[in-house]
Amino acid sequence: MSIFKKLVAAAVGAVAFVSPAMAEELNLFAWSEYVPQTVLEGFQKETGIKVNYETYASNEEMLAKLLAGGGKYDLIQPSEYTIEALIADAKLEKLDHTKLPNLKNLDPAFAKMAHDPGNKYSCPWMSGTVGIVYNSEAVKTPIKGFKDVFNGSHAGKIVALDDGREIVSWVLGTQGRDINDMSDANLATVKPIMAGWLKQIKLFDSDSPKTALLAGDVDIGVVWSGEGAILLAKEPNKFKWVLPVEGTHRFIDSLAIPKGSTRVEAAHKFMNYILKPEVSKLISDEFPYTNPNVEARKLLDEAARTNAASYPPEGAKLGLFNDIGKRSSVIDELYTNLKSQ
Amino acid sequence: MTPLADTAEPGGQRPGLWAWALLAPLLLWLFLLVIVPTAIMVAFSFCKRDALGQVVFEFTTENYARIADVQQAKGLLISAAVGLSAAAGVWGVRRRVGLSGSTWPMLTLLGLFWVTLNICVLLSGGEVDAARWLKITVVSINYAAAATAVCVALGYPVAYFIGRSPERWRNLLLMAVMVPFWTSFLVRTYAWVTILRRNGVLESLLSWTHLHDGPLDLYPSQTGVMIGLIYTYLPFMILPIYASVERLDNALVEAALDLGASPMRAFRGVVLPLTKPGIIAGVVLVFVPAVGMFAVNDILGGRQEMLIGNVIERQFTAARDKPFGSAMGMVLLMLFIATYALSMRRRSAAS
Repeated sequence: MSIFKKLVAAAVGAVAFVSPAMAEELNLFAWSEYVPQTVLEGFQKETGIKVNYETYASNEEMLAKLLAGGGKYDLIQPSEYTIEALIADAKLEKLDHTKLPNLKNLDPAFAKMAHDPGNKYSCPWMSGTVGIVYNSEAVKTPIKGFKDVFNGSHAGKIVALDDGREIVSWVLGTQGRDINDMSDANLATVKPIMAGWLKQIKLFDSDSPKTALLAGDVDIGVVWSGEGAILLAKEPNKFKWVLPVEGTHRFIDSLAIPKGSTRVEAAHKFMNYILKPEVSKLISDEFPYTNPNVEARKLLDEAARTNAASYPPEGAKLGLFNDIGKRSSVIDELYTNLKSQ
Repeated sequence: MTPLADTAEPGGQRPGLWAWALLAPLLLWLFLLVIVPTAIMVAFSFCKRDALGQVVFEFTTENYARIADVQQAKGLLISAAVGLSAAAGVWGVRRRVGLSGSTWPMLTLLGLFWVTLNICVLLSGGEVDAARWLKITVVSINYAAAATAVCVALGYPVAYFIGRSPERWRNLLLMAVMVPFWTSFLVRTYAWVTILRRNGVLESLLSWTHLHDGPLDLYPSQTGVMIGLIYTYLPFMILPIYASVERLDNALVEAALDLGASPMRAFRGVVLPLTKPGIIAGVVLVFVPAVGMFAVNDILGGRQEMLIGNVIERQFTAARDKPFGSAMGMVLLMLFIATYALSMRRRSAAS
């Protein structure tokens, strides 16, 4: 036996010794700042299953790690267009609805979405929008949409999501174009406008843009609605929320089980658990996005239920994203080139 | 001078079984974490990809073709030509004056090439259509070079001071240099956000001491990135220089002084040449990782500007284009290997 083999054998032995075989586990790969610790603890208390929560900051980051991970993850939390792409590539397990009786608590509208009709592969977690939040003590001009944010008078005081696709879609919205059409013609229209916008942004942050607003680094943010809702709840007189008049991106993040997971049963248990109204409410308490769980919404207090960022008015101009596949690299090149002008 | 030269001493034995056993962890480490990933990267860089960003094993050279954009090649050629002719001119003049030293032509060449490249990149600014990899690479190298220069300027005196201080102080001072390593690099970088941000630690301190009032606008900013880079890499400059200062034989310095050399002359003629290996090691340890660094730029720069590390990182995430990211990584690696090979040749020619 060579030394090399001995070393490998020793290493394998050590790993086998260290990893505990006692507790059942579940590997959850989800957005950062999206899953409350209380929910994970509650689930472990009820089922004895320990959840390992690993985070990501973009769908693409999740895709890259998921597809390289070799079946490490049991639950992922993709957005609508990524679910569409994963279903198309047969990367998701079909859900067993008999194990998810709590699906009945969901707003029926969520079962009619084009990316996964009937929720065959995904279980809605939260929905939200991208909107504008501003510090009304510093910003005195009226803000109604993207054009008011990027009119030049707020240059250097803006935080925005660090996401090329998002920003392209905002520009497309202001031009009255389809936010999912990434054709060369559309991108040619977007390019000069986006170049002007990017110069005005002081900070790009998709993880926690609210921090810069709270600290006073910037006065205006184009951020996820949940981030805006937290600011509104903390300082209701200071921060104002605006859904852009030009229309904006609405996203739906759902739990899904990637093919290759060895704990499909436990994953279903987790989905059914978070669909309980009292559990779902805990998620809303900490991360006030639009809760698709109507029973949970009833448990929220008045302020949370009427938070302008969490619950957009009926008839707001919102659009979901479609998957753009290989065009992602074209968008990224555009974004990179514009940033490094 | 190099560790390799030490092991290849005349009369040295071939390593025995025990030596191999002791080396095994290192060799395994090198194999698993250097050779294998590099091989994977080479393979990926010649592959295609699918809509989800997965690598499709079909041979293509399009990733490299995308990097070698025609317009950029023009800039590169112009700078190479100008750099070469200028360097040749300088070299010729120096020879005629009788100043030819083996290191000068190479340094002049590199310097002029670099200046021309920068000018070309500046002149080509404004148009968006050309892919910007070259510009981004040039900017990244500028950043890394500036950070390295500041690290030498700051690190050398510190290392010299530590190396020359009494022995009982030396370990304590060295410890102070290494204390930051006890905390995660990311945590320390985020701490800089707290220091640099508006009404943060630095601004409060300055206004409390009445040195400066009002916002400094250091976070997020490119100055912040520079501060972060210098802070991160300074210990990697101090430690190797310290090692060479510590070995410095004091008798040589004293001899120089006794023979009438001014302190400045003794430093230039004795101390500097003897600690040069430490400086070179420090420069390599700082410059190479600083070129590829993306986290500091992300955290302290507010992601306003992309450095080459960010661009490569994004290929593996946002762009869903691992093959292109791999190709870019390979080009950068080749650049490092070429520079390193050049500097090794220069050194062996000098000795």
